[in-house]
Amino acid sequence: MKNLVLFLFLSVLLASNTYSQEGVNYGKKLTLNEKTPISELFKNPKQYSGKIVQVEGLIVKVCEKRGCWIDIASDEEFEKIRLKVDDGVIVFPLEDKGKIIIAEGVFEELIYTKEDLIEQGEHQAKEYGTKFDPKTVTSGKVEYRLKGLGAIVK
Amino acid sequence: MHWRKLLRVLHRDIGYIATGLTIIYAISGIAVNHISDWNANYKIKKTTQKIDAIPTDVSKEEMINYVLKTLNISEAVESSFRPSPTELEIFLKGKTIHLNYESKEVTIETVNPRLLLKETNDLHLNKFKGAWTYIADIFSVALIFLAISGLFLIKGKNGIKGRGSWLTLIGFGIPIIYLLLYNFVL
Repeated sequence: MKNLVLFLFLSVLLASNTYSQEGVNYGKKLTLNEKTPISELFKNPKQYSGKIVQVEGLIVKVCEKRGCWIDIASDEEFEKIRLKVDDGVIVFPLEDKGKIIIAEGVFEELIYTKEDLIEQGEHQAKEYGTKFDPKTVTSGKVEYRLKGLGAIVK
Repeated sequence: MHWRKLLRVLHRDIGYIATGLTIIYAISGIAVNHISDWNANYKIKKTTQKIDAIPTDVSKEEMINYVLKTLNISEAVESSFRPSPTELEIFLKGKTIHLNYESKEVTIETVNPRLLLKETNDLHLNKFKGAWTYIADIFSVALIFLAISGLFLIKGKNGIKGRGSWLTLIGFGIPIIYLLLYNFVL
C-alpha cells in the first residue's frame, strides 16, 4: 500500500507540463534553433504559409474558457498573432498573461467570409458577455495565425 | 475463496481507493458541465471607471506610472502592451489594466483561480498529460470493475436476477432514450 501511494505521488510529479530552468513546457518539445520575428511573418506570409516557425513574444491574451489560444505580441508595435491549439492538447492558464513565451507552430493563412466573421463575432460576444454589432462587418478578411505545437513560457 | 466473497473484497478495497478520485471527478464534472454558464476555473472580475485626464506626448512607461498613480495601485508591473495607438494594457500579477486613451476609460480585470476547483478540473480534463494519463486510465478501469462487480454482489430477489436487472436496465435506458430523442425527435 505504501509503495502504491509512493508510486502515485511520483507519477503526479512526473507530469508532461514539466518545469525546467527555462520555464514551463507545453506540448511538444521545441525543435527549431532559429526564431522568426512575428512582424516578418506578416510582411511575407506566403513565404511562411504551411511551415513550422518559432516565435518569441509577450502573451497578451489567453482564452478564458479552455485556454486553447493565446495572443502573442509582435516585435512591431500594435501587432499580435494568435496561437491556437486543439482543445485539451495544450491548456494555457490565465496566469500566463503578461509572460514571455517561445512557441513553435505551423503558420496558417485563414480566409474568412463576411458570414464567417459575423458568426465569430457573435460567438465571442456570447463567450465574453460583450456586445457585437454585425453591421460592423462589411467584408471578409484573411487572417494569419499559428497552429501551436509546443511552447515554453518563462 | 468463493468467487462472490473475492468479488466483495475487491469491490470494497478498490472502492476505498477510488473514493477520492470519484469525488474529485464528480465535483469537476458538475463544474465543467455548466461551462457555458460560468468559468469553472477562474473568478474573473471586471470594473470600469473613467479618469479625468490623460497626459499627451509621454512615453509608454510614463503613461503606465501615471495610470498606476491615478488608480492608487502600487503592485509591480510585469509587462505591458499597446493593442492600438489609443490603447494600453498593463499586466500585473493576477490583474490586467486596460486604458482607452480616447474615452479615458480604465478597465481593471482581476483573475483569481477557484481554489481546489481549478485543480480538480485540471485533473479531470487531464491538463497534465504524461503519467497522469495512465493514472486516469487505471482509475477508469477501476470504475468499470466497480460497476460490473456491483451487479453480482447480492444474491436473491435484490440481486441481478431480481430487481437489480430492472434497475440496471433503467440505468442503461436513460442515456439511450435521450440519444434517440435528441437525434430523431428533438
